[in-house]
Amino acid sequence: MRADNLIPRAWPPRFASAPPPPPGTRPFRAGHPRALVVAATMYLWAAAASAQTPPADTKPATYAGSEACQMCHEDIYKAFQKNPHAAVEKDKRRGFETRACESCHGPGSKHVESTAAADIRNPAKLPVAEADHGCLSCHLNQPTHVGRIQSAHARNQVSCVTCHAMHKSAEELVPRRRAAINAECAGCHTAEWASFQRPYKHKLPEGAMSCVDCHNPHGSVLAHSMRTVSANEPGCLNCHGDKRGPFIFDHAPVRLEGCTTCHEPHGSANPRMLTRADVRFVCLECHANTPTTAAASHTLGGVPPSFHDLLSPQFQNCTVCHVKVHGSNVSRELLR
Amino acid sequence: MKIWLLALAALPLAAQQTAPAAQETPPAPLTTPETTVTGSVDLGYRFNSVGGSLDTFRSVVDMGSGVRLLGLDLTIESATRKWFDSINVRGSGWGGDPYTTAHMDATRHDWYHFSFDYRDVAYFNFLPSFADPTIGNGVFLDQQSFDSHRRMMDFELQFLPGHWIVPYLGYSRDSGFGTGITDFVNGINSYPVEDRPRDSSNNYRGGVRLELKKFHVTLEQGGTTFKDDQQVFTSNQNFGNNPGPFLGEQLDVTSLTQAYGVRGDSIYSKALLTANPTPWLDLFGEFLYSRPDTNVNYSQYNVGQFVDLMPLLLYTSELDLLTGVAKQPHTTANLGFEIRPVRRLRVIESWMTDRLHNASSAALNQQLLTPAMTTLLNSFTDLLVMNYNREQVDVLFDLTSRITLRGGYRYEWGDGLTSGALLSGFPTETGQLKRQVGLAGVSYRPLQRLSLSVDFEGSGGDRGYFRTSLQDYQKARIQARYQVRQSLVVGANFSVLSNQNPNPAVNYSFLSRDSSASVTWTPNNSKRVTLTGEYTRATLRSNLNYIVPQDFTTGNSIYRDNVNEASTLVNLLIPGFGANGPKLSVGGSLLRSSGSRPTDFYQPTARFSAPPYKHMTWYGEWRYEGFAEPFYQYEGFRSQLMTIGVHFTR
Repeated sequence: MRADNLIPRAWPPRFASAPPPPPGTRPFRAGHPRALVVAATMYLWAAAASAQTPPADTKPATYAGSEACQMCHEDIYKAFQKNPHAAVEKDKRRGFETRACESCHGPGSKHVESTAAADIRNPAKLPVAEADHGCLSCHLNQPTHVGRIQSAHARNQVSCVTCHAMHKSAEELVPRRRAAINAECAGCHTAEWASFQRPYKHKLPEGAMSCVDCHNPHGSVLAHSMRTVSANEPGCLNCHGDKRGPFIFDHAPVRLEGCTTCHEPHGSANPRMLTRADVRFVCLECHANTPTTAAASHTLGGVPPSFHDLLSPQFQNCTVCHVKVHGSNVSRELLR
Repeated sequence: MKIWLLALAALPLAAQQTAPAAQETPPAPLTTPETTVTGSVDLGYRFNSVGGSLDTFRSVVDMGSGVRLLGLDLTIESATRKWFDSINVRGSGWGGDPYTTAHMDATRHDWYHFSFDYRDVAYFNFLPSFADPTIGNGVFLDQQSFDSHRRMMDFELQFLPGHWIVPYLGYSRDSGFGTGITDFVNGINSYPVEDRPRDSSNNYRGGVRLELKKFHVTLEQGGTTFKDDQQVFTSNQNFGNNPGPFLGEQLDVTSLTQAYGVRGDSIYSKALLTANPTPWLDLFGEFLYSRPDTNVNYSQYNVGQFVDLMPLLLYTSELDLLTGVAKQPHTTANLGFEIRPVRRLRVIESWMTDRLHNASSAALNQQLLTPAMTTLLNSFTDLLVMNYNREQVDVLFDLTSRITLRGGYRYEWGDGLTSGALLSGFPTETGQLKRQVGLAGVSYRPLQRLSLSVDFEGSGGDRGYFRTSLQDYQKARIQARYQVRQSLVVGANFSVLSNQNPNPAVNYSFLSRDSSASVTWTPNNSKRVTLTGEYTRATLRSNLNYIVPQDFTTGNSIYRDNVNEASTLVNLLIPGFGANGPKLSVGGSLLRSSGSRPTDFYQPTARFSAPPYKHMTWYGEWRYEGFAEPFYQYEGFRSQLMTIGVHFTR
């Protein structure tokens, strides 16, 4: 775990005054009329002031080119060459040819002259939404971000650069190794990672899986940013295809509330990652409706017939007989 | 061949002989770029020693002895970049580990991106405490045990990545196979029998992404095939879980063959859209449609002594043939926007619907030998309907440059329809969902290095599909991170979920709390020492009324879980040997839980590595796994895993 990744790198001390956005990118927010008023006021003020004081350098900054950045920021420049964003340097389509640094930091001519931090845009010091705008000016219209607007990460002000390191290697920009992905997520989701230390769990600590096998950190149409497979089926079925169905006799909770109705996917002390220590209580907590109580509570799950004597070991674990508990193609009672 | 090689070797000599006598300063040799290979290979031998329950060890850890390719991570960078820019190859666990992985991706800028991923995960489940009615008799035989594998592979090829139009093709396969023990249920008895599951799913997909300045569209069309050829069989006499006589007859099975011939297929379509028509408006939408179908051909032939209770009938053999079909159209749509009317305000509104309808039918031809032949014909129909809808609005307001407030509202409603329960007397039963949820949150960053976020949602509750569904609930999460100094980061998380269903017949009370703290210390840029550690305490309390089936009285299902978990890892560079000297890592995790299933699970580990050469490191790793459950002491185990290996880097 990189220490610098534990802290969102876009924590802002204040709203920074960003230089004008590069050509070809859209301005961030609404409020053009207000901006015009402010600009006109400032122009009038500047015009009045110019009559009394020597003329200040009010010209907007222009692009200086990446080589100018390299002069002082040699280490960052070198590291950046291994970053996929280095391709921007030669990319004519995006309009940032020879000025990849300025594609995120804005025109840097003033900063080159003054070397003052205030003269360059630093996304790490911008408000999260504004910093993300820099990324989304190129990446907004891409499929990974269809759900991003709805994702919990976006709502909780988790910036793009919290997970994606801009100046480093491709692996640090978008971690691909499972251990690296898991470490990245565990940096914030500590309690979730602790669940994987339980005996019955998905094999993430062993490196067989990663968090993004099940979750889409950019958001999803399903709750908890769960991935989908085959268009709109839950991501669990990507590996557990035998539970997919449709079955002749479906078990309603599998479809209505998903696998987490009965399983703790991150890990459990109970075998099969079940939510309860005894199998019978997993079942009987729902299968306890008489016709009267079902009507009153509007819930599904009827009580089993009375020959299920829970005092007998045979009936204490329902799945001994109801072997096709995820759905059966032969038996309505899920027996075969 | 040898002649050619000699000729090639002689060429430089010949060149020297023909060189002009008067030697001038030779031109500087042209440095031709070379293809480079970088990465690491990790080879080792693991010894294991297990005490206690080997079956539980295999169900939880399952690491064996032998030579292993523990890790492979290579990057090949092309010098000419003619066919590829780079190829990454990764793998782990080859040689018999239960988690074998492989990955390969290749990229040629502006041309293609290809990726391949493979996993073979071995599952071993043999826990006497799970699903075993014979425990009371002192017989440990798990009737839901498996020794199986799941293999997943995925290929994807993108053309013209980075261009405005990106076509792509993909193929995925997921298959399962192995052996196990399952149950053959017949009348009042159930018999543990051999099980051979075999299933596979294939997914074929192709699509195109259009990425333009103002909008993006992804269109994908795919299809899946599925087959399940599970076989259940026995040829030994088996008296089952009720070995006593019934009506004077000894029930048994002497021969059984169950064959599932399940075939499925599906077509699906996917359309994604994002657009930003104006600077203050973002639109997004998805339309997802799938239509999986299943065709079933099932046969069963069993011989022995059986009883059918409805009507009361004793018989000696049974032949069942079933054919069935299930069709499940499933439509999901999602539409929303983010609008920024003023600088500090964002409003996100979305609507979603998810509709699924499974209709199935089957015909069963059943022939019983009593000893006279009795033929029974049955036909079944079944259905499952789900209609789910959601509307959500979130408002985010930057109160100051350091505080962002969030408030919102979510309304979820829907219904589920399925076949009626056996005792209900109704052909169908309906569950309803109606939930109005309030949302709130704060993100506060008083310093650049300090972050605090609070997230809350709560619902007064109305209706849920099940008795255990979220109803009257409150959920909160607090996260704090503080970078004390460049090398020291501390964090703390707290989350709580409280859910109530006060309906007298349900009387559900659920409370879970997770508290965790973490620290990462990397002094001097991690050159000598690094330390990571976390501690988590998780508690869960659940009470719920249920009906005891045998007498229809009300019981109370009580579940408690109280977990303390800590894990740490300290890496230390041994002083006196320079920056590339020997290293020692010590750490592991300790878990202790009490409650309904108390468990102790200790996994300390230590690793020592020493580099005799620049690109080579010897290492030894020790890992202890200690597992104990006070309620199921026969399932405890202690294992020591010792790995000795060599790590090559380039």
